[in-house]
Amino acid sequence: MIENYAILPCNGLDKCAGVISGELAKRLFENGKNEMICPVFYRISETKYNRIAGEHALLVIDGCQTRCASKLAAEKNLKVSRKILVTEEAKNHNVELKSNLRLLDNEKALIEIMLNDLNKTEDKVIQTSDETNTSFHFEYETFQHGKFIFRVPRNPEVYFNENDCWVYVIGNRARIGVTDFVQQNLSDILYFTPPEIGEEIDQFGEAGDIESSKSVFELISPVSGKVVTINEELVEKPEMINENPYEKGWMAEIELTDFESDKELLIRFEKYFEIMKRKVEDLNG
Amino acid sequence: MSETTFMGVERDKIDWKPTIDYAKCDYCMECVKFCPHQVFEVRESDAIKLIVRNPHNCVVFCRACSKTCGPDALSFPDKNATTQKIKEIRKEMESHD
Repeated sequence: MIENYAILPCNGLDKCAGVISGELAKRLFENGKNEMICPVFYRISETKYNRIAGEHALLVIDGCQTRCASKLAAEKNLKVSRKILVTEEAKNHNVELKSNLRLLDNEKALIEIMLNDLNKTEDKVIQTSDETNTSFHFEYETFQHGKFIFRVPRNPEVYFNENDCWVYVIGNRARIGVTDFVQQNLSDILYFTPPEIGEEIDQFGEAGDIESSKSVFELISPVSGKVVTINEELVEKPEMINENPYEKGWMAEIELTDFESDKELLIRFEKYFEIMKRKVEDLNG
Repeated sequence: MSETTFMGVERDKIDWKPTIDYAKCDYCMECVKFCPHQVFEVRESDAIKLIVRNPHNCVVFCRACSKTCGPDALSFPDKNATTQKIKEIRKEMESHD
C-alpha cells in the first residue's frame, strides 16, 4: 500500500489526462497516510512543500508527455522516488483517453487500475529487495576521448545491442543496463524509471528509462523475458548509473524466454567497442 | 553522423522512423529540440511546419522523441515486425556470402 509519500500531480485542468492525474492524487491523499503538493501553489510559495518533499518519498504523477509535474520537481531540485505517466498507463491498459474533462466510467476504471497497480508494485518491491545475490564480475577495456573515459566489459557473458545497452547472462537469468556511452552523454542522471516487476518484455522493447537535465533515454532491452527484479537503489540514487552503469548501476534482472533467438541480434565486446568508439568520435569530432 | 548500418543491415533497408499525426501535432517542436540526430525539420513558412526530413538518421528501436510529445502525435512501426525483417535480411545476406 502506498504510504508516507508526498504526491505531486500535474493536475492539468484542460486535458483529460491532467484531470486523471489530479483525481489519482486525491485518492492517494484520502487514505490519510500521504501528503499532497499543489503544483500551482508550489510556484508561488515553496516553504511548506519543500518541507513536505524533504520529509517524504516523492511520487510524481504526470498527465501527458509534457510532464509538467516532473519538470516542476526538477526545477525545485526534488528527489523523485516514483513516477507515473497517465497517458502511458492508459495505453498499457487499453484505455482510450478523449477530450472530456469530467471523469466518466473509462477514466474512473483507469484510476482504480492505477491504484491497484501502485499498491501491488509497492508490495512486490519490498519482497524482491534481497533477491540479487548472484555474482556479476566485470573486466573492462577502456577508451579515452578528451577527459572522458568509456569502459566496456569484455567478459564472455556480456552482450550488447547497438542501442548502447548491455546484458550479462547467467543461465536463464540476465541483468541489463546501459553502457558508459549513454551515461557520459546524458551527464548527471536525475531520474530512473524502472520497468514493472512481472512485466513481459520483448527484445528491443522498453525496459524503463533514465533522464538527465539534457535528455531522456529509454533502456531498449537486449533480451526478451520477464522482469523479476529491479535495482531499487537506483530509484533513490540514479547518480549510481553515472558512477558505474554496469555494477552499481544495473537496472533490472530478467528471466530469459528465448535467449538463443535474441542472441542473433546481439553483439559481443569486440564489435560494440568499435561501434562505441566510432559514435564517440562522431559526436565529439 | 549517424550509423549507416544496424546489426550489419544497411540502414535504409530498415523501415524505422517516426510518423507525425498532423491531426494531433500542435507544432510545439519539443521533438525537434529533443532529437540529436536531425530526424525532423521545421518549415516555418509552410502550412505543414514539421516534417520527418532524415528518416534514416532515426536510431532503430529508439522511440524517445515520442515521450516528449504532449499531444501523442508520434508513432513508430511495429517493433516485432522490424526485428523479424532485420533477421530476414541478415539471413539473406548470409546466404549470398
